[in-house]
Amino acid sequence: MDEFAPLDCLLPSGKQRIGLVILNQPIDEQFFHVLWSKAKIRACADGGANHLYRLTEGHRESFLPDYINGDFDSILPEVKTFYTEKNCKMMETSDQDLTDFTKCLAVMVEEIKAQKLQIDTIVTLGGLGGRFDQIMATVETLFHAQKMTDLPVVVIQDRSLAVLLKEGRQHHLNVNTGLEGKWCSLVPVGSPCLTTTSGLKWNLDNQVLTFGQLVSTSNTYEAHDPKEGRKPVRITTDRPLLWSMGIKPQ
Amino acid sequence: MDEFAPLDCLLPSGKQRICLAILNQPIDERYFHVLWSKAKIRACADGGANHLYRLTEGRRESFLPDYINGDFDSILPEVKEFYTHKNCKLMETPDQDLTDFTKCLAIMVEEIKAQKLQIDTIVTLGGLGGRFDQIMATVETLFHAQKMTDLPVVVIQDRSLAVLLQEGRQHRLNVNTGLEGKWCSLVPVGSPCLTTTSGLKWNLDNQVLAFGQLVSTSNTYEDHDPKGGRKPVTVATDKPLLWSMGIKPL
Repeated sequence: MDEFAPLDCLLPSGKQRIGLVILNQPIDEQFFHVLWSKAKIRACADGGANHLYRLTEGHRESFLPDYINGDFDSILPEVKTFYTEKNCKMMETSDQDLTDFTKCLAVMVEEIKAQKLQIDTIVTLGGLGGRFDQIMATVETLFHAQKMTDLPVVVIQDRSLAVLLKEGRQHHLNVNTGLEGKWCSLVPVGSPCLTTTSGLKWNLDNQVLTFGQLVSTSNTYEAHDPKEGRKPVRITTDRPLLWSMGIKPQ
Repeated sequence: MDEFAPLDCLLPSGKQRICLAILNQPIDERYFHVLWSKAKIRACADGGANHLYRLTEGRRESFLPDYINGDFDSILPEVKEFYTHKNCKLMETPDQDLTDFTKCLAIMVEEIKAQKLQIDTIVTLGGLGGRFDQIMATVETLFHAQKMTDLPVVVIQDRSLAVLLQEGRQHRLNVNTGLEGKWCSLVPVGSPCLTTTSGLKWNLDNQVLAFGQLVSTSNTYEDHDPKGGRKPVTVATDKPLLWSMGIKPL
């Protein structure tokens, strides 16, 4: 992650080569089409297949995932039958200590290696809404993902995007795609984070972000010359730090 | 918090004396009526008033909040006018470093003291959905609340309930109201938590919960004799620990 544009994946003209994961949450149709058409590998985690099935009614054969994994306790029988018949790889990854999302990413990382795909970002649809513990589980998966791959894993639902910034380095976030919404945020989810930023309206200057003391939400970007475009947001952190941002309505 | 029943507030026959805060998220109508009728103080944080206004159409005069606070950037002009006309206290708490929810709680704690009310729990509708940074901000408010009051602050949206368990003590959670859904969860938001539990299907035995290592989501309650009723879940933690649980569809 030298300069990374979190919302590049939603730009039809975006440069990032992506893998796509669909989780068990309502899918935004516009995001879906941009992401699906660009993705080199596409997968559903269990009930994500239900949402794919419903969304692509009438042209389902044109939207077949490369694989569907999970303990299959959420996927509907009719949906499972359909994708099995169409020869999508059905990978039953039974209940252990890992969520369907974590296992889906693990499979994706393997497939990327096995197929020698050039991928820049793994994009996930869903994960930031619904059951509260599952939102927390999404964040936990982002921690595990950092041990599985160097690729950024971005999570998008409704008009929110979240990505976990690695510790010990300076991140440059390109926030000039034109798709950026108004708000952004830095949340020290697992532990206090010694943080320095630039490019935000309320920057941090070697300050500790930590729950109960200081958490950055409802932040925004520093004012900029409209002719120039925004400078990258720079962030250094000594522990994994959760960046999130709003997405402009498309 | 000796023995605390998180879902008691949703039982019409529940024992807890409550206050109610309504945030800027869609309101579940059935929860609303149970909570409103029991609450000794009722307040809206900014745009929460919009949801109250919409939900109570036709009989709005019967559902007037004691106060509405906030920077008033979300409340609709028509809504603000209506409640002002009806003599609800409108308390403009302009943008600072604190969210509308935090400020709403601060006022509530003051009012409880000023009116010498006997209150057991502060219940919040909303806060666990929508913009992702605002979900995180809700959790941050729960941390601040612990410095403001000893009263438990419970947050409910859709079918999720969340409450932050204070550090350094053993909590006994009564999960036998009949309203408990299937899942429960312990999430160490903010820092690792040395945790011991009983009464869960997957208990912790002096183990560290920490993001990237071990986070308890999709947990559930230990089996029990249906005639016996569930034993309380006990949780001991050395740092604030976020308990969340599913609510049975009413």
